[in-house]
Amino acid sequence: MQLSGLLDLVIIGLFRGGIYALMALGLALVFGVMNIAQFAHGEFYMVGAYVAFFAAAVLGVHPLLAWASALVCSFAVGVLVERTVFLPLRLRSREGWVMNAFLLTVGVSFVLQNVALAWLGPSYRGITEYWKGNISITAGLNVSADRMASFVAVIVTIAALWLFLQRTRIGRAIRAVAQDERGATLVGISLGRIHTLTFGVSTALAGLAGAVLLPMTQAYPNVGFKPMVLSWYVVMLVGMGSISGAVVGGFIIGILESFSYYYLGGGWQDVVVLGVLILILLFRPSGLFGAEVKGIWER
Amino acid sequence: MEIKGSSPTTLTVRWLDRVQSAWRLLGFSPLGLLLLVIIGLAPLFIKNDYILRLMVVCLMFGTQAMAFDLTIGFINVVNFGFAAFVGLGAYTSALLMINLGWSPWIGLIMGALVSGLLGFLLGILTLRLRGIYAAIMAWFVGLALMSLVTVNVDLTRGPLGLVVPLFFESSKQILYFYIIFPIMIGTLVILRLLTRSHYGLAFRALGGNLDAARASGINPVKYLVMNFTISCALAGLVGVFYAHYFGILTPAMMLTRSTVEILAIAYIGGRGTLWGGLLAAFLVIPVFEYLRGLLAYRWIIYGLFLIVTMVFYPGGLVGVVFWIGNLIKRLFSRPSKGP
Repeated sequence: MQLSGLLDLVIIGLFRGGIYALMALGLALVFGVMNIAQFAHGEFYMVGAYVAFFAAAVLGVHPLLAWASALVCSFAVGVLVERTVFLPLRLRSREGWVMNAFLLTVGVSFVLQNVALAWLGPSYRGITEYWKGNISITAGLNVSADRMASFVAVIVTIAALWLFLQRTRIGRAIRAVAQDERGATLVGISLGRIHTLTFGVSTALAGLAGAVLLPMTQAYPNVGFKPMVLSWYVVMLVGMGSISGAVVGGFIIGILESFSYYYLGGGWQDVVVLGVLILILLFRPSGLFGAEVKGIWER
Repeated sequence: MEIKGSSPTTLTVRWLDRVQSAWRLLGFSPLGLLLLVIIGLAPLFIKNDYILRLMVVCLMFGTQAMAFDLTIGFINVVNFGFAAFVGLGAYTSALLMINLGWSPWIGLIMGALVSGLLGFLLGILTLRLRGIYAAIMAWFVGLALMSLVTVNVDLTRGPLGLVVPLFFESSKQILYFYIIFPIMIGTLVILRLLTRSHYGLAFRALGGNLDAARASGINPVKYLVMNFTISCALAGLVGVFYAHYFGILTPAMMLTRSTVEILAIAYIGGRGTLWGGLLAAFLVIPVFEYLRGLLAYRWIIYGLFLIVTMVFYPGGLVGVVFWIGNLIKRLFSRPSKGP
């Protein structure tokens, strides 16, 4: 294979990976701060995709406005879910929070997905494009304007989130809660608000991913499953709760996927990624970037 | 007695003793025993194939829920690829029968062995880490198994579905009932004995507080892997029955959805009770069967039930049963306690 072909695969991988990075960021954030292994992440992707569809195709607003409304709506749904489901569990749960919260997200996922199915039907709703045209990157590779726009949106969002976490008071509070809940409470951080906000931000990221990918993936009740699985691969690859690792891992999985798709064909990509994950768990259980993971043997 | 040495009768006496203590360990309540006997004898009186079929399906789901409950209810790890382990057992037996002509009775053993082996390997790999890793990795393994089955079209016919010969030539439901019923009883007895022995204590300790359990000298990996392996092997066993009962296998049986169905049944029944899953299966599945209008909303209902039982009523159906039992006991004991 020629070098330019190889470069094409890498670029395609990067474009795919951007979305996984965005989704995985949400997963890592919510696991790092709240200890929730989010299984309903794909459903918020779906919410974002539907909102963007109705905004862009039915109301006919500007794409950027459609994206913003998807962001806001999935944030709102996330906040609602956190307040009605996870807050009561947190008040009641004594032991085994991680597993219980995980199963709870499974329940939430099924409810959201099937409410969408019952309400909007199984049909695919999509738009052909936000913006017309192609942009050529290398000699053999043309990327549609939408993919380029989605990539830009991903990069901007990740940068904005990073600034938010590093530079603002609330962002620092979120990181403090992630490090030590009790300590954060002691210095006067309201845990409930931070938890709700974090959950909302995480779901908003998923919703945005769904909105920017609308021309590629359409909107249907089950649309979020594939992106969610892939973002989980990312999170497991880099170690759960590692926020900066999730971004890098997203691109790695994207490239891995584009290569395995090219050389082995569709369907094998689950197997390939699983093989890589098993190797990593065997030799480096804490993931590539070694976020703090507790094995059974160490404290 | 001890000094005299062993007389010819001691052996049988000891054997009886052991049976007796095992029976005590099993600890079936008279009511529960009665219900099991009623279920077991029902096909002799019910001649309606449709109802028998429903009972077979209930038993199948109940057995799966019990096997599932062994991991989630005791060691607090979700086997999130449960349906794939069921599918692995099913495909193992089906492929052995179709390609090598092995009898499905050997398939029952082989399916359980293969699923158990995969569960063992997965457990060794992931149960060294905290439980959520095992749950997610089991899910990934399930997804990978499903795509392997889907991709290998020339072996498994992929999404078209693999047609599998049944256990018997005839499709009389009573025959199949008396295959799944012993499987269910066997599962119930084995799991009861296991979880009420010191193994069960270790499981519960590890599920409750891992560090405390370790501090009291329980080897976590050994017990966790053992638990996980047994659960997976039982899943494979039920899978083989599934294959030779329905006669058609598609990769769709391994969907995450199927796992969640079992999960919901186990949770509705009551987590960590084993027989709660059986009870819930006998309630939930006929309800969905008779109220076909609800079928479209099945997953919403499962999801809502999962959320509600988990947050507000962790005891599940078994909790309700015990609550009613205590109520009755109090009602009847009040006159004697009175002044």
